[in-house]
Parts: sequence; structure tokens; C-alpha cells
Amino acid sequence: MTGSFKTGGSASWATALGPLAAFAVIAVALPFAFAGNRYLAFVIGVTMIHVTWTSGMNLLYGYTGLMPLMFAGIAGISAYTVVDLTAAGWSFWAALPVGAFAASVAGAILGLPSLRLKGFYFTLCSLVIQTVITLGFVYFAGLTNGDTGISQIALPTLPGGVSLVGTPYDLVLSIAAVASVAILIAIVRSSLGRRLIAIREDDELAGMLGINVTGYKVAAFFIGSMFAGIGGALYAPYIGFISPRSFDVLISMNIWLMVAFGGRGTIWGPVVGAALLAPLAFLLQDYYMVKDIVYGLLIIAVIALMPGGIASGLTVSRKVSASVARLNAEQRKLK
Amino acid sequence: MTDVLLKADAIFRRFGGVVALKGVDLVQYRGETVGMIGPNGSGKTTFVNVISGHLRPNSGTVAFEGRSFAGRKPFQIAQAGLTRTYQAVRVFGELTVRENVATALVDATDPATPDQVAELADWLRIGHRQESPAGSLTLMEQRQVELLMRLVQRPRLMMLDEPVGGLSSAEVRTMIALLAELKTRCTIFVIEHTMKVIRELADKVVVLMAGEKLAEGSPAEILADQRVIDRYLGSADA
Repeated sequence: MTGSFKTGGSASWATALGPLAAFAVIAVALPFAFAGNRYLAFVIGVTMIHVTWTSGMNLLYGYTGLMPLMFAGIAGISAYTVVDLTAAGWSFWAALPVGAFAASVAGAILGLPSLRLKGFYFTLCSLVIQTVITLGFVYFAGLTNGDTGISQIALPTLPGGVSLVGTPYDLVLSIAAVASVAILIAIVRSSLGRRLIAIREDDELAGMLGINVTGYKVAAFFIGSMFAGIGGALYAPYIGFISPRSFDVLISMNIWLMVAFGGRGTIWGPVVGAALLAPLAFLLQDYYMVKDIVYGLLIIAVIALMPGGIASGLTVSRKVSASVARLNAEQRKLK
Repeated sequence: MTDVLLKADAIFRRFGGVVALKGVDLVQYRGETVGMIGPNGSGKTTFVNVISGHLRPNSGTVAFEGRSFAGRKPFQIAQAGLTRTYQAVRVFGELTVRENVATALVDATDPATPDQVAELADWLRIGHRQESPAGSLTLMEQRQVELLMRLVQRPRLMMLDEPVGGLSSAEVRTMIALLAELKTRCTIFVIEHTMKVIRELADKVVVLMAGEKLAEGSPAEILADQRVIDRYLGSADA
């Protein structure tokens, strides 16, 4: 029996790469398939931005156990940075990494309260941080044009001076979404992922096993905020308009809801969550008041009825199988 | 046994107005099993918390293999080769046994090789449970997983906080046998509530009473010590 204990990684890469390849094919095919219908292609593009966002939110909420409700604010920091830099003559492609880096640094700093505050208390704190960021967007009107927002944001240009418009832009968003999911898979399967999951499960025990909990929480915020920043940078020229409301607490909660509804801590659950919920906003566009109510009801439903999200409905959750196994063990003992 | 592994000097720790540790000294040599006993609230767990970096002492110093632990965080102390368990069993319940072990290996300074891990898992008779969520195991099995997670880090000192707490009497005997073998793999420090476990395992016993060291000596000396008998062993608590 010696030698039977496996110490290698989890399931083989093939099991993760198969769905990724399928997702890549679908994501790249969709912009072409809907090239004739600008409206639907746009809905798909926005959904792809949300896949990028949910990947970052999933890293933080699903895998590290932190619920940052200032996520949209961090995306906004990148969006305003990129818009201001391109307005000052920068190339979009040079501004994008600067914006993403600004978001990462801001996220790592604004995530610092999570080192002291656990669970719900950090979430409350992040809510306050989000509010302050939103007020900041209103207050620093020199950079953000305040409540009026910035409209007619120039499209990124490709080498040769061609504007990135229509299907090519959709394609960039699809590629960003696929890359985000691929990076998330790589992180989760790496030793970094193992550390983050350990921190999510029991951060004191993780520390006792030699894991630098403080350092890896900051790293998680840095990386997770980069997803927020890349999504925010791509969002601004695609929509053509940003205002403080584009990155307010409701957006943070929507992104969180996509992760929670789809299945936190799973790779594909949040992708499905984004694919189902991001288009919902467009379907309900004419029913403005109803939209927020639907989101609110969904949040309550997810918390009360399906804390593991859709993904846990498809596969029996470990918690359930764990308690079944425990019952069986106890029954064996009684006999 | 002249190789000093752990040296704690005059450890003081207060919680508000309560002084939990009133200047506790300890010297533990490599290979020597130290047992710490004392009634509830005598400061045993606080002592381990101070050594493992979970609590800062108000005064006093801790040195491990001659190096000071002052200002070190628990993860740094773990990486230095000193590990501990908790009074209540603590594993990553949602993760499988294999994932628990993989997590223990990730930041170990001197991790066991895969062959050594397999050997340890078999020795602890937990290898067959590697794909089970740790939370689904019995308390005894979870204790075994806890030991496995520590042992794969190849620590030089393992501090065990009431390792037989909550186990059935048959399981207690199994655990004592495991710990007796464990002594050959790693230096151990055991906190126990009662003399039962300590008598069988320890080379040296420290009796803690209201935050002070009441006595120190071999199990036989402690059992014969009149002060210990009067103030602790004679009471129903022991």
C-alpha cells in the first residue's frame, strides 16, 4: 500500500482545457455569428466584459473568500485613467496596462482592511470604500467630468490608424474574456491557488502551515483588481460613455451576483452567471425600476436558496456529500 | 541530550487584568518529550499560543534552535520548523485529505518527498481516505490527518494541544500508541489535561498552575511530588 498517496496536482489539465477550448471557440465565433445584428453583438460584447470581471471577482470571492463590494469602483479607476490618458494623446494600448496597474495598486491598498476584518465585516467596509470611490468620481470633476460623465470616448485605434469598431472590438472583448478565464484556471491550479483556497477555508490554520496569509491576500487583491481594471479599460470606449453610476455599488453587486448565482469557487459557474445575468440588464432596459427589483430578488434568492450557486446544483456539493459520509460513518459506529 | 531545541524565558502574558502566564520558563532538548499538565485555565494553551506566535508575550523571550522568535509571525515560526495542533481538531473540512496534505506541503521549508508522504500516510493509517473530504472523517481520522499535515512539513518540534480530547477510550489507546511512535520521528511537546497520556509519553513533565510553573521533573517525580498531589493530582480534576 506504500506509495499509494498521491501528492501531485488535482485532476489532469485535459479536464480543464477541454471546456476552455470549447469556451474559446464559442466566444470567438459569437461576434462573427452576430456580425449582422449590431445590437445583439453589443450585448454579447458587454457580457464578455462581465466574464472578465467575474473572473477577478471569483478569484477574490470564490477562491480567497473575500467579498469586495468596491470591485466596480476599482474598475472605474482604470476606466477613468485610460480615458484621461487617451484624451491626453496616449494610445489606448499603452494606456490599458497603466489603467490596469492603477486598478491593481488601488485594489491592493483598498483591500488592506481585509487583513483585520473577516467575512461580513470586510464586506461592510468594502461597501463604504465603494461609496467613497463613487463620491471621488463625482468630486474630482477635473478628471471625471463629475456627475455629467464623459461621453464620446474615442475608440481604440489599430496600427495604421484604423478605429477598432464593430466585430473586431467584439473579438477583442471575447479574447480578453477567454484569457481571463485561462489565467484564473492557471492560478487556481497553481500553488498560489492552493494557498488562496487555504486562506478561504481557515486563514489561521493556513498561517500555521507556513502560508503568508497577509502577503497572499494582498496578492489576491492585486491580481483580482487587474481583472477589474482590464474590464473597466475595455468597457469605457466600447460603451462610449462613463459616469460615476457606471461603476457604482449596484455594478459591484451585479458582478458579485453573477459569481454567486453561477457558483463561487468554480471556474465555469461565474461564466454561466455572467452569460445569464449580463444580458438580463438589456432585456429589462425598458423596465428600469423592475430591473433593480429583479436583481434584488435574485440576490436574496441566491443567499437563501442556493448559496453554492447553479454549479452546486449540477454536482452534489462537497458539503452535502461530506455530511452524508459523516452520517454513514456514525451509523457504522453505532452498529 | 545537550542539544537545546526550545528555550522559553520568563514568559509573561496578561489579558486585561488577568495574568495568564506569570513568568514561565522551559527548556526542551531535541528528542525529549515534554508534557505540560494543569487544570483548566492554568495557561497551557496560552503558553503554546505564545510559543507558536499566535500571541505576543508581554515580556519574556522564546528561542528555537538558538534563534529568537521575537516579532515572528505564526507562518514564519512554522517555516522555521515549529508546528502545533489545536485543542479542537482543525482541518480544511471541505477539502479532501489529499488537498489538505498538498496545502501543508506548499510552503513547507523542508517538505517530505512524495514517497515519504505516502509512507507517513500509511503509517498513520489514513492513506485509504485520501479522496474523502476531511470534514467527513471521524474525529480520530481528522486527528490523524492533522498529524499527517504536520509531519509532511518535517518539523523539528511539534506542539500538541490535548491530542486525545474527545476520543473514545479505545481511540485514546490507539492515539497514545501513535504518539509513542511519533516521538521517534519528531520532538514533541504535549499539553494534556490529565496525567494518563503524559505518564506514558513524557520524559519531562511541567505542571502549570494559575500561570505559574508548580513543578517540573520526570513523570515519577511529579506523581510523587507532594505539592502537585495536594494542589492538582489530588483533586477530582486530574
